[in-house]
Amino acid sequence: MRKVLMVLFILSVGLGLQTLAAKPIKLTFNTLFHEADAKAMEKIIQMFNEEYKGNIEVELIQGRWAQYYAELRLSVLAGTPPQIGICHTNKLVEMADYLTPLNASPVGDLIEMAGVDPANYVDAAWAAGEIEGRHYLIPLDTHGWGLWYNKDIFAEVGLDPENPPRTLAEFIDACERIKAAGYYAFHPAEDALPRKLRRAWYVFFWQMGGQLFDEAYTHATFNNPKGLLALQFLVDIFNDFGWNEPGSNGYNQFAAGKLGMLVAGNWFYGTAVKSGVNWGYAPMPNFFGTPYTWGNSHQLVIPLQPKGTPKEVYLAAMEVIKFISEHSYIWTMYGGHITAYKPAAENPELLASEYWTRSGKWLNEMAQKGLVHYPINHPKGSELEHAIQAQIELAVNGVISPQEALAKAEEECNKILQGG
Amino acid sequence: MKWIKRYGPYLVLYGVAFLWIIPILWMADTAFKPTRDIFSIPPKWIPSHFTTEHVERLFAEWPFARWLLNSLVVASFVTLGSLVVSVPAAFSFSRLRWRGRDAVFMFLLVFMLLPWQVNVIPLFFMMTKFRFLNTYQGVALPMIAMPIGVFLLRQFFINIPRDLEDAARIDGCSSLGVLLRVILPLSKPVLAAFGVYIFNYAWNEFFWSMICLRKPQMVTLPVGLKILQGAFEIDYGLILAGAFMASLPSLMVFLLLRRQIIRGFTLAGSGVKG
Amino acid sequence: MGLKGRGAIPAPFSKMRKRIGRFFYRHPGVEGFLFALPYMALWAVFLAWPVVYGIYISLFDWDPLRGSRFVGLANYLELFREPRFWNAVTNTFKFAGMAIPLILGLGLVFALMVWGWGRKRRGIVVVQASLFFPYLLTVSIVAIVWKWLLERDVGLFQHFLSSVLPSAPVFLTEPAWALPAIAIATAWWLAGYRMLVFQAGLEEIPVELFESAEIDGALPYHKLVHLILPLLKPSLLFALVLTTISAFRTFGQVLIMTEGGPGWASEVLALYLYRVGFDYFDIGKAAASGVVLLFLILVITLLGVRILGLKSELQ
Repeated sequence: MRKVLMVLFILSVGLGLQTLAAKPIKLTFNTLFHEADAKAMEKIIQMFNEEYKGNIEVELIQGRWAQYYAELRLSVLAGTPPQIGICHTNKLVEMADYLTPLNASPVGDLIEMAGVDPANYVDAAWAAGEIEGRHYLIPLDTHGWGLWYNKDIFAEVGLDPENPPRTLAEFIDACERIKAAGYYAFHPAEDALPRKLRRAWYVFFWQMGGQLFDEAYTHATFNNPKGLLALQFLVDIFNDFGWNEPGSNGYNQFAAGKLGMLVAGNWFYGTAVKSGVNWGYAPMPNFFGTPYTWGNSHQLVIPLQPKGTPKEVYLAAMEVIKFISEHSYIWTMYGGHITAYKPAAENPELLASEYWTRSGKWLNEMAQKGLVHYPINHPKGSELEHAIQAQIELAVNGVISPQEALAKAEEECNKILQGG
Repeated sequence: MKWIKRYGPYLVLYGVAFLWIIPILWMADTAFKPTRDIFSIPPKWIPSHFTTEHVERLFAEWPFARWLLNSLVVASFVTLGSLVVSVPAAFSFSRLRWRGRDAVFMFLLVFMLLPWQVNVIPLFFMMTKFRFLNTYQGVALPMIAMPIGVFLLRQFFINIPRDLEDAARIDGCSSLGVLLRVILPLSKPVLAAFGVYIFNYAWNEFFWSMICLRKPQMVTLPVGLKILQGAFEIDYGLILAGAFMASLPSLMVFLLLRRQIIRGFTLAGSGVKG
Repeated sequence: MGLKGRGAIPAPFSKMRKRIGRFFYRHPGVEGFLFALPYMALWAVFLAWPVVYGIYISLFDWDPLRGSRFVGLANYLELFREPRFWNAVTNTFKFAGMAIPLILGLGLVFALMVWGWGRKRRGIVVVQASLFFPYLLTVSIVAIVWKWLLERDVGLFQHFLSSVLPSAPVFLTEPAWALPAIAIATAWWLAGYRMLVFQAGLEEIPVELFESAEIDGALPYHKLVHLILPLLKPSLLFALVLTTISAFRTFGQVLIMTEGGPGWASEVLALYLYRVGFDYFDIGKAAASGVVLLFLILVITLLGVRILGLKSELQ
């Protein structure tokens, strides 16, 4: 009998001690990344888990961006959200209800408590994270479109491979020469998927100083001479100018060495290198006034947590976010998106890397100069963009005229905004 | 003229079969071409050299083997589970008499028409509550619940002659006994056919798997392929290498068990004869 | 107790078994129900309940964070007022109208070929296997391969077509040709199984019937229409129902091959439903379109069965 009591006593002491001993805080980090950038984030989180072993443990789940926001919302509603997530800048208005306001969280001002300094982040990116005094986002990166060009084709047609076109005149000249040599001259929209064509139109429109919607998002403001000129230009690239053909895939053309200039995002880097083409990279040319380019920004967020989530969890999540920021030069080097954390952008390893010297630094320049234009930020953003891109695609394919396309798009957008 | 009559059918048969297979051949061809040759305009069949770089990258950068395993586990789970619950149910609907039996069966059938999209969000919440998200059972259970199994099996059981059953009952056999000792032994080919059909259905299921499985380590093959494709719409070498490797298991099993599989699907189709 | 059958049964169990046996004898309904119970339980939890809940959601402006509002049929009315919804419905019918005859037609032709010419010919299994194999592939593979084949610049089929016919359409980028292209890919995928179904049906036809038809001097055409087709009715029913369901539920191929484009030209109802739910997160409206889709499938299937005079086969 005594033996049994002894054993029980030891067991209970052991159990008691176990529960007293600090257990690591387990966090889940859900991202929408895939391929190269996902691998980059894996590296960073691996480093974090090693450094914080025993204290904080992060489980990284990388998803598919197609459903990411729906999944995030559903998981918040189901009461099992991740502690850290990602949010595009232009999704903030849609997602705000599902995120924790960092400066007004249930446990206090997390930004202050964690010692995060807004001055360390690119201004435009930081400012984009606030709605009515509540701040939701911590910037991770800027990413966007730039001009990729084929140096061999340039040399062949008598253009300077180290001096890609910067103005409209130079650009048209380059295109005509490349076209005369029998190549595809220019592709403004990656693989010409509907959303890419829409972005290409955005670029031309924004460069003219155009605004898609009014400040209060009550109606569309793109069915005007500027919008029309921008769309006509886009349509002509694929038709009258003869610089390319509707429905063509710029990625494929460029990788096959048949395309002179391609507008594509920084994620094209991997394919460009593998294709064996002798490529160069340049900022978006100044077609129509201000050399804006299309871009977006990934931001780190803490989704809305269930009631009663302890302070430690929030603070641990902020630790992870801070760590990621500080190590975001890895994010840029391996993932390609330009870090929005100023100290990381000065990291010597990054500055010496091939990615940076061959293309990254140009994108960074555009970001610093405020030339990366974010897309619309509205709860019905997806619907609006779908409505616009459907018409743009039809115009580019020659099914309807640009006038019709803009009129139709305006009509549909107004219906969506005004709750038709 | 006689030549045409004799060899014409061969030509047509083999010709059509060959044309039909071209997409698969092209997929295999592309999976082993260097990226440069993949993007060659015009497309060409014989590349400068064959390479395994895409396949290597596939296994190095993605948990492809894990996807294969997941598909195997899920499909097996569904097949076994289906057999266990559908066989007694089909037996009940075909050979046992109870009030409302046929009405209930008709009602069940309606659910065969169901598109997943209708179910998905409620299922998502349910699985979250049960903590079955991202698990094998979470993916498998709704599939087991699909009436197609009961439907097929019932058609077979209906056709088994009454006398055998009557004889067994006279000997004092219970219904369970009838099922185990009379029906099942007679149904071996049918059960095999059913197994093949359900296995293939579960192996290829896409939509619910896409919603339920988020962790890259848990994902099944069809979803894995979509991830490959969605991630980078441009890396055709990798995507087609993935498609090729994903069809390899089906191809190998098919070549080995070709007769049985075809017989199985044929039975599954013909079983509906009244 | 003497030994009966396989092995002795211990006394208490045999008494219990006898009691159970008597109970079931007097209440046959219970036994039947119990056998079906495991399946019915699964069905109720994982199929029936979500549908019921889905219908319930469709009556709300669903927003758990801010509070869902009961709106009755408002979601449905909103759907019916939306041109894009009707476009999706029309596309679904268009697609079904192309895919179903194609799939069934090819399946029948192949079955006739293989059965008619293959019986005494060597290597027929190879032909059969080649025609059937695509069915074993998953939708992702089929869609990826066909998207690749119809690629504008580097697609094998597209290139071949364009070189033979200079005015050939670029399938996946022209509104009028996107759905047909998807239908063709779907037919390639699914026809093989229908071939087997029809082949099984053909083999069930007694040989004597053919012999007497020969004696009567029937032409192949007559044999087909008056002999074969009527006797294939059960197989036709089965294939038709399955194919109709498949066609109306089509989602994966469209998502991967065209994403519903160009424009909305190939957006079918299942894809529209998915977008409303997962892109726009309008869950109430998505649930409503789900109910509409289910209803459509039900009606069309029943109609098809009745019109083709196959109702009797269902019993």
